[in-house]
Amino acid sequence: MATQDGLETSREGDQQVSRMRGRIFEAMCLAATAIGLVAVGILLLYVTADAIRPFSADPGWHLVFFATLVVPSTGFGLYLYARDGNAGKVAYTALGLGLIGVLLAGALVILFVEIFPYGEWFALSIALAILGAVTVVHRRYRRHAETERTGLLIVTLLVTVFGIPPGAIAELLGLPFYIPSVRGLIASSPVLPLDWIMLVPSLVLPVAAAAGWFVRGRRESNRAGLVTAGAVIVGSVLGVGLGPVVGVGVEGWMLIVLSTAVPLGLYVESVLRRDEGRLGLLFPVVLVGGTLLGAVLTRTLGFAGPDPWLDWGFLTSATSTTPADAGIYPVMVGSIMLLIVIVLTTFPVGVGAAIYLEEYAPSSGLMGRLVTLIEINIGNLAGVPSVVYGLLGLALFVRFFQMPTGSVIVGGLAVGLLILPIIIISAQEAIRSVPDSMREASYGMGATRWQTVRNVVLPEALPGILTGTILAFGRAIGETAPLLMIGMAASVRVPPNGFFSRSGAMPRQIFQWARQFDPAFLNGVLPAGVVTLVFVLLVMNGTAIIIRNRYQRGS
Amino acid sequence: MSTDTQPDITSRPTGKVAREKLYNGIFFLCAALSVAVTLSIVVLLARDAVGFFAAVPPSDFFLGTEFVASKGKFGVLPLVSGTLLVTVLSALIAIPIGVAAAVYLSEYASERMRAVLKPGLEILAGIPTVVYGFFALVYVTPFLRVLGLPVATFNVLSASLMVGIMIIPMVSSLSEDAMSSVPDSLRQAGYGLGATKYDVSTSIVIPAALSGIFSSFILALSRAIGETMIVAVAMGLSPQMLDLSDPLSNVLGNGQTMTSKMVQVVGSELAGSDAGYKSLFAIGITLFAITFIMNLISNRIAARYREEYE
Amino acid sequence: MTQDEMTDTNDGTDPTANAAADTPDPSGDPLVDQSIDVEGTSTTEQTSGTARTVLESRNLDVYYDDVQALNDVSLAIPAKQVTAMIGPSGCGKSTFLRCINRMNDLIDSARVDGELRFEGKDVYDDDVDPVALRRRIGMVFQHPNPFPKSIYDNVAYGLRVQNQTENMDEKVERALKHAALWDEVKDQLDKSALDLSGGQQQRLCIARAIAVDPEVILMDEPASALDPIATSKIEDLIDDLAEDYTVVIVTHNMQQAARISDKTAVFLTGGELVEFDDTNKIFENPENQRVEDYITGKFG
Repeated sequence: MATQDGLETSREGDQQVSRMRGRIFEAMCLAATAIGLVAVGILLLYVTADAIRPFSADPGWHLVFFATLVVPSTGFGLYLYARDGNAGKVAYTALGLGLIGVLLAGALVILFVEIFPYGEWFALSIALAILGAVTVVHRRYRRHAETERTGLLIVTLLVTVFGIPPGAIAELLGLPFYIPSVRGLIASSPVLPLDWIMLVPSLVLPVAAAAGWFVRGRRESNRAGLVTAGAVIVGSVLGVGLGPVVGVGVEGWMLIVLSTAVPLGLYVESVLRRDEGRLGLLFPVVLVGGTLLGAVLTRTLGFAGPDPWLDWGFLTSATSTTPADAGIYPVMVGSIMLLIVIVLTTFPVGVGAAIYLEEYAPSSGLMGRLVTLIEINIGNLAGVPSVVYGLLGLALFVRFFQMPTGSVIVGGLAVGLLILPIIIISAQEAIRSVPDSMREASYGMGATRWQTVRNVVLPEALPGILTGTILAFGRAIGETAPLLMIGMAASVRVPPNGFFSRSGAMPRQIFQWARQFDPAFLNGVLPAGVVTLVFVLLVMNGTAIIIRNRYQRGS
Repeated sequence: MSTDTQPDITSRPTGKVAREKLYNGIFFLCAALSVAVTLSIVVLLARDAVGFFAAVPPSDFFLGTEFVASKGKFGVLPLVSGTLLVTVLSALIAIPIGVAAAVYLSEYASERMRAVLKPGLEILAGIPTVVYGFFALVYVTPFLRVLGLPVATFNVLSASLMVGIMIIPMVSSLSEDAMSSVPDSLRQAGYGLGATKYDVSTSIVIPAALSGIFSSFILALSRAIGETMIVAVAMGLSPQMLDLSDPLSNVLGNGQTMTSKMVQVVGSELAGSDAGYKSLFAIGITLFAITFIMNLISNRIAARYREEYE
Repeated sequence: MTQDEMTDTNDGTDPTANAAADTPDPSGDPLVDQSIDVEGTSTTEQTSGTARTVLESRNLDVYYDDVQALNDVSLAIPAKQVTAMIGPSGCGKSTFLRCINRMNDLIDSARVDGELRFEGKDVYDDDVDPVALRRRIGMVFQHPNPFPKSIYDNVAYGLRVQNQTENMDEKVERALKHAALWDEVKDQLDKSALDLSGGQQQRLCIARAIAVDPEVILMDEPASALDPIATSKIEDLIDDLAEDYTVVIVTHNMQQAARISDKTAVFLTGGELVEFDDTNKIFENPENQRVEDYITGKFG
C-alpha cells in the first residue's frame, strides 16, 4: 500500500510519513494496553490512601520512613533490576513467600480458633496416623492382597474417623447404637492437653519431617535432614517462651514458624546452595529492617503515624453501625470457610474431569461425540453469568435440597459450580502440556492408564494445575452475585459456627457497606474492606504467578 | 529369559482391571457433572419460569415497559434496555482498546514488556466486580462531575466505564491468541514485499485473525450482559426505558439491568411473594439463554479459525 | 563392524537355536521367501531352519482415518536377533513397530487389519490385554525420554507398575549394568535422570526397558538424536542385548542397519514391505530393483 503511494509522490517523503504513522500506531497500541492498568492502578492508589489515610500522619513521620524505607528499598530494587536478573527473581520470590506465609498463618489461626479447634485437629491427626500405620503394616505383610487392603482401609476409616455407623447417618436414621470413632472419642475427651502440646505431634512433627526429608534429598545427607527437622522443632517450641513475649501466643508463634519461617528457610537454603542471585535475599531484609528502624525512629522522635481505617481493630472486630467500630472479622471467617468448601468440592472434581477429558476420553465413536459435547458444554458454562449460578444455587440447594438459606455450604457449592468449568479448562491445559513422550514411555513399560496418570502425568502437570486453580479460587473469593442470590447474610456480628449456619462473606459485606450513605462508610470503612479483599487476591494471584514462573517448561 | 515365567498376555490381575474401570467411571462422572449442571440450570429455571408465565402473560413480560413488582407489573423491556445500554457503552470502550492492546502484545511488545503487561492484564481480570462497582460509585462518578458532566449519583456512564475496563483483558487476550496463531509465513510474505510493521499488522494480521477477534467480542459482550455487581452498586435501582429522543439523559442518569434487578428482587421481601420470586427465574432464564447462545456462537467461530491455521 | 563379526555375534547369540537345528545358512534362509509368501511357510519350518520366530505379521494393514500407513505387510521376526526396519521417512516402519506392542491403541484414529502374532497369539485378539503385552515387549523411543525422577526411580518404574518389587535394588543394578551405564551412575542413583547426557539418558531408557525382563525390545530410531560417540555406544549395546533379547530396531541410517542387524526389512513409500532378508543379502545383493536404488542412494 505504502509503496503504491510512493510511486505518485516523492519516495522519501512517503517513507517518512509511513514511518511516522507506524510510530504513532505503535504508541497508540501501547497506550491502549496500559490505559486499563493505569486507570485501575490509580484507583487502587486512591482506595489505599482512603484506607490508610497517610496524610493524617506528621510530615516528619513521612520523612523518616522515606529515608529508612522508601529510598533504600527503591534504590536496592532498581540496582537489582539493572544488574542482576536472578537476584531480582530471588528478591520477589522471597518477599512473596514471606507474605504468603504470614497470610497463611493468619488463615490457620482463624481456622483453629473459629472452625476446627486444636482438639479436633489433634484427634483427627491421630485417627489418620492409625489409618496410615494399618495400611503400611498390611502392605508389608500382604503386599498383593489389594482388594483386601481396600476393604480394610474402609473399615479402619470408619473405626478411626467416622464411627460405626457414621455419626451423621446414625443421627439421620435415629439409630440407638453408634460406636464412636477414635477421633470422636479423643475430641470429646474431658481432659485434653494444652493447645500447643496437641499442636506439636499433629502439626509440628509432620512439617519437621517433611522439611527434613526434603533437605535430605536435596543435600543428599542424612545429617542435613536431621538438622533441618531439629531446627523446625526447636524453632516451634521456642514459642513456649517467646510467643507470649512478642504477643502472638504459643500457638500463633508455632503457626507463623511453620507457615512462614520454614518455607522461607528452605528457600534461602536452596538459593545459597545453588549460588544464584544471593544478593536478592537482602531485599526483604532491607524492607523489614527499614520498617523497624523507621518505627523506632518515629517513636523516639515523637512523630505521630497515620490513623488508618484499616488497622488491627478493623481486622478483628465485627461490622457496626458506627463506622469507627466497624470491622471485617466475622465475614473474613465466612470467606475462609466458603473457600474450604469450594476447594474441597471443586479441586478433586475439576481435576478428575480434566483427567478424563485428556487421558481417558475416546475421540471417536458415540462416546467420542458425547465427549465433544461435554467439552463444548464446559466451554459454554464458563461464560454463564455468575448471577445465574446464584439462581441455580437458590433453586437447587435451598429450594430442592432444603439446605439452610445463606449457609456456608450453599454459598460454597454455588460458587464452586461457577468456577468448576474454569478449573477444568485450566487443568486440561496443564495436562495437555505434559509431553506425549512421557506417556509413551510409561505405557511402553506396561503401565496402565491410571498408573501413567498418577506416576507421570499428574506430577508433571501439578504446577500448572495449581496455578490455574489458585487463580480460580481467587476469583471465587471475590464473587458476590451468587452469594446475594442464595441469601448470604448482609451483616453478621459473629462468625458462623458451622458449615450449615448462615454466614456473611467479605465481598457480601463490601456490597452492604456500598449501600450506606454515610460518607464515613463510603470513604473509610468501605475502602478498608476493599483493600483487605484486594490484598488477599493479589497475594493469591502472585502465588499462582510465582508457581508458574518457577515451573514453566521450555518457553 | 524363559517364557513360561512370564505372565500370559491375555491376563491381568482382575483387581487391576476392576480398578482401571472404577477410575474411568469416576473421572467420567466428574466430566459428566457439567452436563448435569447445564441440565439442572435449564430444568430448574424453566420450571419456575413456566410458573411465572402461567401467572403473567409472556406478552406482558416481554413487551411491558414497566417493572414494578409491587404493582404486579413485570415488563422486562426497561431492564433489557438498561442491559443493552451498558453493553453497548462498555463495548465502545473495550473493543478498540482491547484490539489495540492485542496488536501491541502480539506484534510489537518485547519479551520483557510482555512479561510485565500480561500478568498485569490478568490481575485486571482478577479484581472482583464488586470492587469495580465501588470504584465507579466512589471515585469515577465524582471524577466525572469534576470534568463537568452532570451525572447522577448512580449513573449508567460510570458503571459502563468500569464494565468496559473489566472486559478489556477478555478482548485482548482472546484476540491476541487469534493474532498469534496467524502463521509467520504470512507476515514474512508481507515484509518481503516491503511492507512496514504497521502495514503488516493492519492489513495482514488483523484481517487474518478477524474471526478470532470477532469471537472475543461476542464473549466479552456476553460477559458485559451478565455483569452484576458493578451495575448493582453503581447504576441505581430504577429501571428506565431508553429514551430515544434524548439518549444522553439515559447515559447520565440511573437505570437498572436484568442482573441487578435479580439481585434486588432476591434481597427484598419481594422474594416472598410468588410472582416476584418467580419473576427471578423468568429473567434468569432469559439471561441464561442469551449468554449461552452468544458463548456457543463465539466458541464456534473460535474453533473455526483454529482449524484454519492448524 | 564387518559382516563377519556380525555373523559371529549371530552364532554366539543363538546357542539354543543352533543346537536344535543345523548350522544356519545365511544365504539359503527360508525366511527369505516368507517375506513374499508367508502363507506357504509354517512356524515349525522356521524353527527348524534357523532361530525360532517370535513375531509374525500376515497381511497387516494399518489406517489412520482414511490414510493407509501399512499395506499388506507380512514378515517373521526371529528370536534373539537384531531385526532392522529401514526406509524413507513416512514409509510406515515406525507404524509397524508401534503395532507390535499396540502403542497405536493410544491413537484413536488408528485401525489395524490382518494378523500380528506374538508367540503364536494374535496381539489384536479381543482377549489380549495391551498392558500385559507391553510388559513382555519393551520399547525405546527416538528421543531419550526419562521421567523427571531419579535415575533409580526411572529404572524401577516398570518394576513398580508391574508390582515386581522384590529385590528391586538388585534388579535395578542388573539392568543398569546390562545397559552399560552402571559404572557411570552407580554413585548418583538419587540424582535426577534429566542431569544425564543425551547418550546416557538413552542408555537409561534401555535399562528401564530391560529391567522388567521383556522378551522383545522395540527401538524406534534410538540413536537418531545422539552424537556419533553416543551412537556407537548404543550400537555396541544393541549388539550385546541381542544375546538375551529379540531386538527390533527402526532406523533410517542404512549404515547403522548394516552394522548391527541380522535381518533387514525395507519399507518403501505407501507402507509397503518391499524386501525382507538377511542383512548382508539386502545390502550386497537385493532382489528388488527399488531396494537397490534406495540402498545405493538413488532416492530416499
